[in-house]
Amino acid sequence: MKTINSIIAIFQREFKITYRNFSDILSIFLFFLMGVMIFVFSIGANDDIFNQIGIGIIWTLILLTNNLTLRKFYQDDFNDGSLVIFHLSGLSYELIVLIKIIVNWLVIQIPFFILIPISGFLLNIEFFNIKIIFISFLLGSPITTCITSISGAMNLLNKKNFAIGSLIIMILSIPVIIFSVGLINTSEESMGAQINILMGIMFLFLAITPWVCSICIKLAIQEK
Amino acid sequence: MLLANNIVFNRGNKKILNKISLTLSPKKIIHVTGNNGTGKTTLLKILTNVLEPNEGEVFWDGKNIKKYPFIFYKDLTYIMDKTSSNANLTVYENIYFWIKLFSSSRSIKEIESILDLLSLYQHKKSLVSSLSYGEIKKLELARLIIEQKKVWVLDEPYIGLDQISTNLINETIIYHAKLGGMVIFTSHITADIPNLEILQLEKYENN
Amino acid sequence: MRFLINPNRFNKFTDLILMPLIYLSIITLLAGLVFVFYLSPNDYLQGSTVRIMYIHVPSAWLALLTFFIMTLYSAAGLAFKIPFGFIVTSAVAPIGATFTLICLITGSFWGKPMWGTWWVWDARLTSVAILLFLYLIIIFLKNSFTNINVAEKITAVFVIVGSINLPIIKFSVDWWNTLHQPASISKLSSPSIDPSMLKPLILMTIAFTLIGLAIAIMRIKAEIYQRKHR
Repeated sequence: MKTINSIIAIFQREFKITYRNFSDILSIFLFFLMGVMIFVFSIGANDDIFNQIGIGIIWTLILLTNNLTLRKFYQDDFNDGSLVIFHLSGLSYELIVLIKIIVNWLVIQIPFFILIPISGFLLNIEFFNIKIIFISFLLGSPITTCITSISGAMNLLNKKNFAIGSLIIMILSIPVIIFSVGLINTSEESMGAQINILMGIMFLFLAITPWVCSICIKLAIQEK
Repeated sequence: MLLANNIVFNRGNKKILNKISLTLSPKKIIHVTGNNGTGKTTLLKILTNVLEPNEGEVFWDGKNIKKYPFIFYKDLTYIMDKTSSNANLTVYENIYFWIKLFSSSRSIKEIESILDLLSLYQHKKSLVSSLSYGEIKKLELARLIIEQKKVWVLDEPYIGLDQISTNLINETIIYHAKLGGMVIFTSHITADIPNLEILQLEKYENN
Repeated sequence: MRFLINPNRFNKFTDLILMPLIYLSIITLLAGLVFVFYLSPNDYLQGSTVRIMYIHVPSAWLALLTFFIMTLYSAAGLAFKIPFGFIVTSAVAPIGATFTLICLITGSFWGKPMWGTWWVWDARLTSVAILLFLYLIIIFLKNSFTNINVAEKITAVFVIVGSINLPIIKFSVDWWNTLHQPASISKLSSPSIDPSMLKPLILMTIAFTLIGLAIAIMRIKAEIYQRKHR
């Protein structure tokens, strides 16, 4: 019972902080939309081209937007000692990581369910099957959140190299991009298989992320 | 009872803690002194299982805190040299968070009277980012009352506090010990607390 | 077998075998090159340029082998708390990166006469490029931290996460390739190799392995020395 209280307390705190810094979150989404616009400028407002590559552009931009949330994951709570306080209240670091991942998914990823159709309108993509796009994002977004969490946890004590966190996200996200975009553009036969593969990757990451992140966080706390 | 046995901690080639042992029994207050860099904060981190010593063990009620950390945490409040209150939340929201996080049985009324004592009541609805350094430190110390734990581990609690607040903290510590609690804190200034056991880290340097 | 995990034993053992190993690797390399240039036939389709394969394939093999060894030692460092594991990881990463780079460049040179372009995104080359990026990230990651303890442990964690992901990435790239490439242009992997080509290939692979081993030993010794005298 006490554990559940502690978990709820952390959730409430995270949402309150997010709400206080709402412009922070909105900036991230604006980054995404401006990215779409930049693509229009760089490629030209050509409907045929966007019909073919639009989904790829959208998914790539989602990935790049996630780079911006890298520091938000653990850095602040690590710097002021809050992570230790969470731990001292009786929660294991794995549980803390899981809570952070869920919060991040709810706050950052869910709005994309609105942003993806919006960008689809902007790029004039013919959405044959909005359901498949949502399924692919539903499966792919937890994976992206997990990858961002891993990179965030690894880079807690990294004060020199700011790009490496994004590099880690990018290289680990290659399968997600390939299968998420592939799922949308594919034929009926292989769709089931691809959904299974994506689900498999999702479960794999959900399983290893709390463990990997807590190792990195414990190390960072020790060596501060 | 908190027991530390021959704690050794090295960072690289530097011996920071050299076979430190201590016993913190109920009603006892220990003041750890030492100049900068002698390992005061390191010792506290080892006592609270944040850091692992190179040699030696720490026991709480007979159980090794590395093997049974959560049993230890149930009785521990650790106030660090950092302040963990979130600058984006109000004083009240931080307090509410701590109450819920630690499943405290303190009522809001009790807390509000504490805030009053700390001269923070008028800032109840202010964001922590608008408070002064001393006020933020005072807010952090409110955790001691909220968490209601037996062992208090405080890292430099007096920094930033005015005389009134310092006296208040001292009274709180004395009262806590009187009720059977135990306190260990670091400070490089002398504390106005009677019956204090002093642990001078420099004495252990040539162990 | 202690020399595999203990730096002092490692130094003692390798002091004995390093010079012979270097001689052996040079001899094998020379023998291999003789085979490559004089004693192996031209390919029916590719002509003389097939000989690049004798460098390309061994470096690919070595790039993967190095990664495998790096993963093993990273796991040993983290799970069994063997510090030597981190020493090997940081020593061997640049070697793997170099072999991957050689593989990519030779693959590119091999491809130019065949496809007319310097680069093609076929499954094999793309996977090797990703492997190179992985190596580079590992090297850069290690240099991002001021605290050596943090650096080696975080790098080890990333090596393990990377190695778990490597089969997934390879699988996804292969799958992606079948989608986007109409025909299999990968003449880089001829499934059935004529025995006359096999002998020089094996010889060159052994030579590269020995060379890689020699360089790795030298780098590990340097790393051990550097840590002792920090």
